[in-house]
Amino acid sequence: MTPVSASFRRFHWLNGLWPWLCAASVALSLLMLGALLSLLLVRGLGHFWPATLEEVTLRSGDTFAGHVVREVSLPQQAGDERLYFTGNRDIEGVRWRWVAIDEITERAQPVDLIRLERSPWGDFIGRLVALEQPDQRWEGNAAWQRLTALLALPANQRQDSQLLLTTADGQTVRQPLANVVSAQAPNAMSWWQKTVAWSEGVWLFLSEGPRAANTSGGVWPAIFGTVLMVILMSVIVTPFGVLAAIYLNEIAHQGRLTHVVRVGVRNLAGVPSIVYGVFGLGVFVYGIGGSLDTWFFSDTLPSPTFGTGGLLWASLTLALLTLPVVIVATEEGLARIPDDQREGAVALGATRLEMLTRIVLPTAAPAMLTGVILAVARAAGEVAPLMLVGVAKLAPQMPLDGEFPYLHLERKFMHLGYHLFDTAFHGEDVQAAIPLVYATALLLVLIVLGLNLTAIFLRHYLRRQRGNEC
Amino acid sequence: MIPPRLTSTRQPLRQLQDRVATGLITAGGLGVLLAILAIGVFLVWETLPLLAMGDTLALAKLSPLAWGTLKAALAALLFAVPVALGAAIYSAMFMSPRLRSRIKPALEMMEAIPGVVVGFIAGLILAPWVERHLASALVLIVWLPLSAALAGLLWQWAQTRLRGRLSFSWAGLWLVPWLVLMVAIALWLAPWIEQQWLGGDLRQLLDQRFGVDYATRNAMIVGIAMGFAVIPSIYSLADDALADVPSSLLEGAQALGASRWQALWKVALKAAGPGVFSAVMIGAGRAVGETMIVLMASGNTALFSVSPFEGMRSMAAAIAIELPEASPGGQTYHLLILAALVLFIFTFLVNTLAEVVRQRLRRRYHQMEGTS
Repeated sequence: MTPVSASFRRFHWLNGLWPWLCAASVALSLLMLGALLSLLLVRGLGHFWPATLEEVTLRSGDTFAGHVVREVSLPQQAGDERLYFTGNRDIEGVRWRWVAIDEITERAQPVDLIRLERSPWGDFIGRLVALEQPDQRWEGNAAWQRLTALLALPANQRQDSQLLLTTADGQTVRQPLANVVSAQAPNAMSWWQKTVAWSEGVWLFLSEGPRAANTSGGVWPAIFGTVLMVILMSVIVTPFGVLAAIYLNEIAHQGRLTHVVRVGVRNLAGVPSIVYGVFGLGVFVYGIGGSLDTWFFSDTLPSPTFGTGGLLWASLTLALLTLPVVIVATEEGLARIPDDQREGAVALGATRLEMLTRIVLPTAAPAMLTGVILAVARAAGEVAPLMLVGVAKLAPQMPLDGEFPYLHLERKFMHLGYHLFDTAFHGEDVQAAIPLVYATALLLVLIVLGLNLTAIFLRHYLRRQRGNEC
Repeated sequence: MIPPRLTSTRQPLRQLQDRVATGLITAGGLGVLLAILAIGVFLVWETLPLLAMGDTLALAKLSPLAWGTLKAALAALLFAVPVALGAAIYSAMFMSPRLRSRIKPALEMMEAIPGVVVGFIAGLILAPWVERHLASALVLIVWLPLSAALAGLLWQWAQTRLRGRLSFSWAGLWLVPWLVLMVAIALWLAPWIEQQWLGGDLRQLLDQRFGVDYATRNAMIVGIAMGFAVIPSIYSLADDALADVPSSLLEGAQALGASRWQALWKVALKAAGPGVFSAVMIGAGRAVGETMIVLMASGNTALFSVSPFEGMRSMAAAIAIELPEASPGGQTYHLLILAALVLFIFTFLVNTLAEVVRQRLRRRYHQMEGTS
């Protein structure tokens, strides 16, 4: 091929611009992908970094404390306004405050400002005056040290303690220590302490349940539900997908009909996921589930047991949805095994079963694994069908617990993707939930991309290995 | 491959095992295929009662949804097709093979990003931003292609030394910072443009002069978000089709004096046309069926309007929201299942068409390579 630049020079300069538009399309796609990922990374991980608290004095003499969320330009006039998170919902009634920047006369970052995370009422931002117990009282720095020591104890051992707090504008509040989840003085923290607090925050996000209508706390039940559902799904989809692929590739007569079936299966991968959800709802939930209820659970009947969405139906629906993925990947693996290997086995006297189990399946196993990983990746990110067949915004009970029969297939479960959707669009305070939504989105993207990357590397590695053999 | 029946009867157990296993596999395989077939049968079966009810209300209720679906898909394709095809042309024809082997998987990764994440970004982050900075967004849409052309002009006028360092076959990569710079310039200039030419507030202008309502979550946002989700599938297939064009065709055209672009435009695109078409069809199928993005990024209002600044409600989104609440056996239930059937048939037909076209194309390439 001639070098590109040589052929450009001879032609009309406008003609030479088209390739640039094409190149820019690649750049634009990369830019969008990079922007999306870095937005998720920065906002999702940044939320856990202890934010600097500011004490702001306005021109009107008003004082409040909070941390900066963002700035936008004022509507209809020049200048910007700034959004502060101020907490203290029990005292002031609101948690957010918009302030025009021109109104601010003083911004300070006093080290004694603290932030308490409380279980009812959300965050408190202000100062700690004293910590009181029926027989004792600590003030100032001693109170802070006593507070951090007490917070390390379980909640029931600090019943009788009370905190004496003041807000930035001077109101005094008494706060029972039993309701306090954690305390931070971010302005007094060093970099290292902030890093430790950050990693603790990330860990709590991954290991705790949601609190305060999903606006704080973590996503552990959603992670657990997603993983359990995906595991059940792969247990169902792997044998059936592999069976169908072996049938199509090894046993069925390779005629026109098989060809049509193969194209049909491939096309099913392109059918919208919501259609599978409709099928799952109509057949699994209302059809099979309804019948199961009338046969076995008639004593509880007006309230359905299996006749409503649940873990089992969700896994079955997603198994059906990912079946084409597994079939196609396995078939690709089977087709790549040279026929002489099969012929060799048969020539040595193997039956078809022996040929399949000793020669074909071991060689095709990695392809199957790739297919299952791709199926898991697809299932982990799928939300629409789950909305029909059993996901819940807040499941009261985990689907796996110590109660017989341990695995409760009929229970509803939480799912990362649906948790994201529900928190972002149906929460009561979306503004407060957005940082956690970012973190959830990041987690979901990392899981799905990680699975996909594993599949790609596996495939790549195997192709190279196979290439050496042949 | 079918092994011959064993002639020896000395090992009846092995033979029996083989028979049983074959039977099991056949049963399992056929069972799976039947289960898949059952989807279609179920959908048709559940829509039949609608015929028995025999009222024309169904059509009236479904048509805004159908319109919303089409509008969302069109908006997405309007954004995705030029970008995806441009990217495919560049990466198949101009990009250095080393870069291509890295970029292509990266772009295909875009497909894996869950729709719910894209929908969240579009609905809660992008939509409010565009609402506040409508003029900037529109300026960006015009300015980005222009800035790419500008890069091309500058490059052609540049010194040969610079060209050697920034070769065109790596442009897909080094244009990224250039585009970032251009976005920054556009965002910096946009308020000034809005002041000078658009009378200060574009949204007010649209409202007063043209009577255009601006909804926060609208077709334009859906187009960008769903376009983002559809780009990788179109790109990947179109790139495959273009890269498979026998190189003898391109070499022949260039030997006759065509430039690389002319060879591409007149020869490669014609040869790969069916493949490119099938890529676009698959993209259309995805855009029609995508649920979460439309649900989150559109206003979810069932409207008949062509305005890109108004919302819509698509069939998939309506099913996701309304079906869990519809009582089984009721009219809404059957109606929504009809919507699912329409989606199913549409995507299945489109995908089949695309697949058939692609296979025919592959055979044609095979012949071309055989005869040359």
